[in-house]
Amino acid sequence: MSDEERVIIIPCSGIGKAFGSVGREAAYVVTEELRPDCTDTVCLSLLTLGDEDARRRVRKHPTITIDGCPTACARVNVEQAGVAPAAAFRVFDVFRRHKELRVRSVSDIGEAGQEMARILARDVAAKVDELRTGRR
Amino acid sequence: MPQLPQRKVGLIACSGEDLPEGTVSRRAALLVLERLRPGATVTLCLPLFLAGEERERAFARFYPTIAIDGCEKRCAARATEMYSARPAASLVVSDLADSLGLARPQRLRGSDAAGEALARAVADEVARRVDGLLAVRGETAAVRQPDPTGVETVVADAACTCVSGISAASVVVGGQTVELLALPAIFALFREEGKSPENSATADDLMQQIKIYNAVAAEDENALSEAVADEYARFWAQTPAIGD
Repeated sequence: MSDEERVIIIPCSGIGKAFGSVGREAAYVVTEELRPDCTDTVCLSLLTLGDEDARRRVRKHPTITIDGCPTACARVNVEQAGVAPAAAFRVFDVFRRHKELRVRSVSDIGEAGQEMARILARDVAAKVDELRTGRR
Repeated sequence: MPQLPQRKVGLIACSGEDLPEGTVSRRAALLVLERLRPGATVTLCLPLFLAGEERERAFARFYPTIAIDGCEKRCAARATEMYSARPAASLVVSDLADSLGLARPQRLRGSDAAGEALARAVADEVARRVDGLLAVRGETAAVRQPDPTGVETVVADAACTCVSGISAASVVVGGQTVELLALPAIFALFREEGKSPENSATADDLMQQIKIYNAVAAEDENALSEAVADEYARFWAQTPAIGD
């Protein structure tokens, strides 16, 4: 697959909230397990600081953001880079659908957190497929 | 009773998603926040400096801050300085790995043995710097002792200022607006303690508290004290005492 067809997945870097860790884990499930050949990630901090290469990548490729809290740093910072995300996911929306899943902590999201991340990752992967299909 | 913000050391990790050392920076910060120096450290998500508002940007002006970066691009240190204030200390995970002769991590997700060893080494160094910063200020970090039962207490969320925030308010001094961190909390505390603005000692007490959280040049102190006293008198008049 050419680099042209890649989708960028950017989680929020949230270090203060357990949902931030779930979002990060979900991003890695997509980029390493579910869609390793057609997705990639970019350091959000680098993008935040205006790094040209990071900006070029989110402008060139459809970008999906994953946020752990209402401040929505991932979405906001992608928008600040001059592009609208192709999709914006929130960990909280998964929690609303699965209130039985209680995340353990920031540093160890536990089994429930892993499950929440897998559910979110499947949603993100489906969106990746949709974006790639739409491009053809 | 209103609580005045406690002096702590702020930790800003780059959390870089795209490199294993970024994951180590995050892991190291969490080790310090949750296990090595809980209660003495606080954190903030780095991208909040851009997405957030004034109270987020006040972070490094209020807390002496340690930036923990995964690579030489030093996003955490640069962003902290750009949006808030220069970090009191700055560590780069890759540099520390080289200087300690530790292997570089290979995994982005979770932690391999090399990543865990490096995270612990970085966390130890950060804890040492925390102690140094608090010692300069005459304070001591609470070092968490291992629980004798062997049971680990789990903190659901790390100490994060995007929840607690650092309140700030402005006063006008000589036609210029001056922002003072912790001023709303100080006013609320003084009001609750019944410290009347008509008492001559109150203005001095206010300045004493304000100087804990803000740098005040000696030559500006008298004018600032007057402006704060006026503002407090207005606050006193508008805020009913508890029980009224």
